[in-house]
Amino acid sequence: MTTPTQTSLPFDPAGGGNAALDALLRHAQPADARVWDELRGADGRPRPVWQSFARLIADGPQGLDRRVHEVAQQLRHDGVTHNVFSDQGVAVRPWSLELLPMMIEPADWARIEAGVLQRAELLEAMLADLYGDRHLLHEGLMPPALLLRHPGYLRPLHRVRPAGGQRLHIVAFDIARGPDGRWWTVAQRTQGPSGLGYVMHNRLVITRQFPDAFRELRVQHIASSYRRLIDALDQRARDVAGGQTPRIVLLTPGQYSETYFEQAYLARYLGLPLVEGGDLTVRADRLFLKTVEGLEPVHGVLRRVDDDWCDPLELRPDSALGVPGLLRAARAGHVVLANALGSGFLESPALQGFLPGIAQRLMDQELLMPALPTWWCGEPAAWLDVRDRMGDKLLRTAFPHGGRTSQMHNASKVDVAADPDAWTVQGRLSFSRTPIWHQGRTLPRPALVRVYAIADARGRWHVLPGGMTRVAQGVDGSVSMQRGGSSLDTWVMTAGRVDEFSMLPSRLQVDDILTRRRPVTSRTGENLFWLGRYTERTEQLVRLARVTLSLIDTDNDAGPAVLQSLTALAVRKGLAPDGVPTLLQSPAVFERAVLSGLGDATGEQGVFSVAYNLQALARASQALRERLSAEQWGLMRQMSEGFAQALAPRTPGELPTRIQATPALDRVAEQLAAVTGAQTDRMTRDHGWRLLTVGRLIDRLIGVSARFEEFLQGEALGSAAGIDLLLELFDSAITFRARYQRHEDLLALADLLVLDNSNPRAYAGVLRRLRTELRKLPGGDDSIQPLLDLLPAEGVGFTLEDLRDATDAQIAQRLLDLSQAMGQAGMHLADAIGERYFMLASDEHRMQQV
Amino acid sequence: MSTTLAITHETRYSYAVPVSPALHLAHLRPLADAGQAVEHFDLAIDPMPDEVSTETDVWGNQRTLFAVVVPHRELCVRASSQVALVPRFDAIRPEDSPPWETVVQRLQYVARAPWEPAVEFVQPSPFVPRLEVLRAYARPSFPPGRPVAAAVIHLMHRVHADFTYDGDATQIDTPVAEAFAQRRGVCQDFAHVLAGALRMMGLPARYVSGYLRTTPAPGQPALVGADASHAWVQAWVPGTPGVPADGWLGLDPTNDLLPGVDHVRVAVGRDFGDVTPLRGVIRGGGQHTLAVSVHTRSVGAAGGPGVATSPAMQGEKQDEDEGTAS
Repeated sequence: MTTPTQTSLPFDPAGGGNAALDALLRHAQPADARVWDELRGADGRPRPVWQSFARLIADGPQGLDRRVHEVAQQLRHDGVTHNVFSDQGVAVRPWSLELLPMMIEPADWARIEAGVLQRAELLEAMLADLYGDRHLLHEGLMPPALLLRHPGYLRPLHRVRPAGGQRLHIVAFDIARGPDGRWWTVAQRTQGPSGLGYVMHNRLVITRQFPDAFRELRVQHIASSYRRLIDALDQRARDVAGGQTPRIVLLTPGQYSETYFEQAYLARYLGLPLVEGGDLTVRADRLFLKTVEGLEPVHGVLRRVDDDWCDPLELRPDSALGVPGLLRAARAGHVVLANALGSGFLESPALQGFLPGIAQRLMDQELLMPALPTWWCGEPAAWLDVRDRMGDKLLRTAFPHGGRTSQMHNASKVDVAADPDAWTVQGRLSFSRTPIWHQGRTLPRPALVRVYAIADARGRWHVLPGGMTRVAQGVDGSVSMQRGGSSLDTWVMTAGRVDEFSMLPSRLQVDDILTRRRPVTSRTGENLFWLGRYTERTEQLVRLARVTLSLIDTDNDAGPAVLQSLTALAVRKGLAPDGVPTLLQSPAVFERAVLSGLGDATGEQGVFSVAYNLQALARASQALRERLSAEQWGLMRQMSEGFAQALAPRTPGELPTRIQATPALDRVAEQLAAVTGAQTDRMTRDHGWRLLTVGRLIDRLIGVSARFEEFLQGEALGSAAGIDLLLELFDSAITFRARYQRHEDLLALADLLVLDNSNPRAYAGVLRRLRTELRKLPGGDDSIQPLLDLLPAEGVGFTLEDLRDATDAQIAQRLLDLSQAMGQAGMHLADAIGERYFMLASDEHRMQQV
Repeated sequence: MSTTLAITHETRYSYAVPVSPALHLAHLRPLADAGQAVEHFDLAIDPMPDEVSTETDVWGNQRTLFAVVVPHRELCVRASSQVALVPRFDAIRPEDSPPWETVVQRLQYVARAPWEPAVEFVQPSPFVPRLEVLRAYARPSFPPGRPVAAAVIHLMHRVHADFTYDGDATQIDTPVAEAFAQRRGVCQDFAHVLAGALRMMGLPARYVSGYLRTTPAPGQPALVGADASHAWVQAWVPGTPGVPADGWLGLDPTNDLLPGVDHVRVAVGRDFGDVTPLRGVIRGGGQHTLAVSVHTRSVGAAGGPGVATSPAMQGEKQDEDEGTAS
């Protein structure tokens, strides 16, 4: 075989030197000889799987660089984040995903799978024993302190058999490959293992980059594992639902949780409502979801809230994340919790050394996959054995510390003898190095793979063929996403058939379909309502700002009445602070006030202008992540960020100029049109959408009345300039010209902006739609009629005919009366809706301890 | 010879705004065992709860969970008990108990050796964390080889002597470190300090929630702690003559005595948090006030206030104690 001399050949079936392979290898930083190199074998040649991969991607260094960029763009577009905690608080960071996947070959996977299945089974058996007859304690196979001192052991659940009999439904194992090529268990997570959302998203992003390699390398698909998880929960929940179609929810600690993005993503992917503790309530030992339609039964909970936070009545009393009474419901067997509460103690690293003996006792089996060697210091013999050779080992807490399952400590600074039970010693493992692509070359990085065991409805375990690989930031660093690490898609190859299942639901019954209509929780309903209100409010403000700035900018014949009215409206709507010199007194000062307020997101200057509302919009949509499409969500964020950037002062302390502001406002106006379009066309018309629409219409009603009120009170509608300006604010100038040419009189204005129910911005149009949507809200006549009674029964309460003989002054008075009444009606309606639909969720009604 | 006490324990919450729903967890039913028999127990809740259930917890205490869904501005929970008590430690011979180190040794984990369930109460708990200062404080009571019961009683005497009973010094959630540092507190603090010190020495200690009759028998000093529910400690001193076979010896550091027929045990746990007489999670309520009153009344033949250093005095009693909020 000859070696090609041209290294730029894109494809060489002999696998000798194609561009991609060259790219992967030529500049590859060599991995440390004392660790396992995932990229190259002992002979220095790339492992066969990497040779095949390189052959299939056929990319040179520039191509790979471009793909890295595309991956980052995709993550940004999808808004993939995680929250990082520090002394300074919580920061949202973009998720980090490497281009090159972690490769696991069939023979390795077979061993991993067997080892993980066995360990998952063992953990389930341990829970059954320790919450039951406790043979493990009676026979001295496990130190009692590791159970009885651990806050994850929940005494209220002693001798409680969970609904369906299964305690663990998902268990995650962090595994790594040692220098000898064997895979080791490093840690296990049993409470609410994180990552399944990221795993799926990582997979979608990376396969988009390498579709051919993904297919040709026979990488196992992972969708059926998710299906199995949801089917198993569904099956078990069906048993407790007593003939009803079961409802399952995903319980999140909320948007400040470390992995909120992936919880929302997973909820969407699995088709589960994403709920917080406050969305649930327990009545008569049963769990319910608080929806805008009332209390709806819940039979299963996929749980991401840690055990001891789940019920402030019986567990941590200071928890605001849980559901009071949840333990009662669990003990009564009325709800399936995945995972059941009380498994937290299994996460202690101190337990590892006892697992081989426990496996013998409970399963009569040898453990197939080794764990890092551990010595629990509470056993005097073990501590004596290890205390003088700590150099190559880690000292960890045996119990949770500082919010972490276990924390590492410097052995020389800890007096282990003062409380030996609290400490455990763990041997170090040099993790294998897997390549990441970084600016034209590969770099070796220590890799830790999180794999997931999932129980099916019969309690048999399956391992998701994939996982979340995390790599350290540096070549020797520790592997932690909190400390700047990165993630990799994990490709598990099979020698057999690839399971091409995709997440299509199994055949549904009519009842299932009815239940699967997503319930609208009171909290979600409230957020949607405010999303609607803020969207409308922002649109009005942007228009008002554009109109105001262009009025200052251009020669115009606006008289004093018009200028005073516009000033009053601008102040009332938060565009300019109270007490600023008016447009009449000093256009320049007024303009500065408006410009300075536009970009102020804090409201500190007493203005609640465009940036302030954009931020409120972004916040409302953040809380609605699982309901909004990625596009909608991204658009909200871009609007807020883009506007802030566009208005950033050229030099610090300087005001934004009108030259900056005008295009920025134009851009936001366009984006808002897109947001509105998405709200109108792209959302399912359920009660959530209806509340959003009602919120929007209420703010529109309030906005219309404010404009009329200021212009009528300021007597600004006596001039053509005043009427023009009002039409501008209503975005109705073109229609007006088409209909009435230049007859700029009050009657024509009343016809178009008040009485025309086909004009979406006129009183009649707003009221007509408001009445229609209100009638469709849940709750029947008793709750809806009082809402409707706040509005005129029909039209605006008078007709064009009623104005036939009226003078302009009489018309003006009539419109002013109407405007004042409608402004009031809008505010009363908002309160009444809050009381009727969001009461259960509102903050004043949070739980407290007594 | 037994004594019968009747106790009424009333808790009243008043709220500024209506509450609905309220979920409560109560430990109010006295324990029934060889040392005390519950002749009568009644739990009256107003307004009437929508759900009530009573369960036995992992340590044998009766806990009652109830929910009141109807909106209410006031909640009244009245537990009425009548309990027959027999003296428990009259015949104790502390000096004949085994050396304290052997008890510590028995609790040490040895692979494949059977366990002592009492080891649960050596572990730190939310209200009684491990504190080195408590070890240093306890040590003088534990010279090598001292019989375990003598050592724990010695430590109780010291806590009683060194600490001042002061109802204003601490709150219900004052950390034990703070109560220890200021050497002041109420029965709950005395109990947490003693339990914490015993645990730091490697000895199991339980927290006992209960009641105390305080009106003294003729010629006896008044006891402290009857204005609300009382709390004391049990230390594990297996093999001590005069202590029941389970090995648990009562120690009341507030009154410096071994509980006799004036102490009614309601629940045992690791600390106050496990056996809080009544707590709840409510929606609404706003500002609230809490009033607790405990009445104890002797209805039968009596024993003495407890074992100080010699067997208890005997005497006839018919009295009533009354207290208010703690």
